[in-house]
Amino acid sequence: MRNQRNRLLAAPLLALVVLVAFAGPASASGESVGGCMAEHFAEAVETYHGNVEEAAHDVAVQDQLEKCFEAPSPILPEMNEIIWGGGAFLVLFVLMVKKGFPAVQGAMDARADRIRADLDEADQAKLDAQSVKAGYEARLADAKSEASRLIDEARGDAERVRADLVARAEADAAGIRERAAAESDAAKAQAIADLRTEVAAIALGAAERVVQSSLDAEVQGNLIDAYIDEVAGTDG
Amino acid sequence: MADAAVTGYAEALFAVASVEGDLSAVEDELFNFAQALRSNDELRSTLADGNVPAARRLQVVDDLLDGRSSATTSVLVSMVVGAGRASELPAIVDAFIERSAASRNKAVATVRAAVDLTADQRDRLTAAIKVSTGKDVEIRVVEDPSVLGGVVTEIGDDIIDGSVRRRLNQLRESFR
Repeated sequence: MRNQRNRLLAAPLLALVVLVAFAGPASASGESVGGCMAEHFAEAVETYHGNVEEAAHDVAVQDQLEKCFEAPSPILPEMNEIIWGGGAFLVLFVLMVKKGFPAVQGAMDARADRIRADLDEADQAKLDAQSVKAGYEARLADAKSEASRLIDEARGDAERVRADLVARAEADAAGIRERAAAESDAAKAQAIADLRTEVAAIALGAAERVVQSSLDAEVQGNLIDAYIDEVAGTDG
Repeated sequence: MADAAVTGYAEALFAVASVEGDLSAVEDELFNFAQALRSNDELRSTLADGNVPAARRLQVVDDLLDGRSSATTSVLVSMVVGAGRASELPAIVDAFIERSAASRNKAVATVRAAVDLTADQRDRLTAAIKVSTGKDVEIRVVEDPSVLGGVVTEIGDDIIDGSVRRRLNQLRESFR
């Protein structure tokens, strides 16, 4: 702040020094030769109360007119201009130092404060944004983790369901096979039993017919005798 | 165990037969009639049918026994049939025969055979049963073709089965 103020004071002082050091004739202000001569000649005429001829023969007037042909300083103005200009400059400088500079300084400070506040706000906003971003990233990570967990869980459930279905299907198939085997065995056994019963019935029918045909009176008598002997041989 | 009616009628038959004399002949005739009744479903149902008038049933009895049995037997059968006990007549006759045998201190052995036994076979079987069971028995032979051959003897609840039918049944069982 202080350096900025020094630079602000140094610039007009340097301009004033240069202006005084290179001070020159009035023509240096850039006035034309003709104008210069016309101005001096008009003053001489006015001095001689309108007598143009006396004014033209006045040596002093001629010297002044001759000076109009001297080259003016390309840099320095006339002394009076320097004085007026310097005075005006000083007035302006003082006004600037007393009024303008504080206002500019205040504006600059306010602007700096505002910029600083804006920067702080931007930093805070950045921090907030980073916080929000971190929150979003955390939530995203949680969501990804949750999604991964749900997927794993769903896979586990699907695997369990598949295994259960497979086990149940295998159990059903085993049961069906066992029932089919049992039914087959039962049917086979029933068929064998039926066949055996049928064969027995046929065989017994044949045997009965053979026995009946062979049981004549003699055989019947022998059977009765054998029975009596058997009963007699059986002791109570 | 015969019920009271059967025992009562058996006692009545025994009393009448005892009084009228020739108990043995009555026993044989009643036994034969009872066997005929057992083997003939139509005769049994006719005599036991309450819808058939008693006179008609008694007429059937007379027709069956006329000339084939004594008057005592006919009277006794008519008495039972007339009382509506025809369906129980076989059991009554069995009880009567057992009662008669008991009066002689003997048991009754019902012998079923495909053919009738000779007198010699009856005597030998009686002796054999005496040896086997220690009981004095009177044999009642029933001709039963289903026996096929051999003999089945029933003495009360005891059965001595020596029939061909039994052997065929054993053979049938062995097939199972």
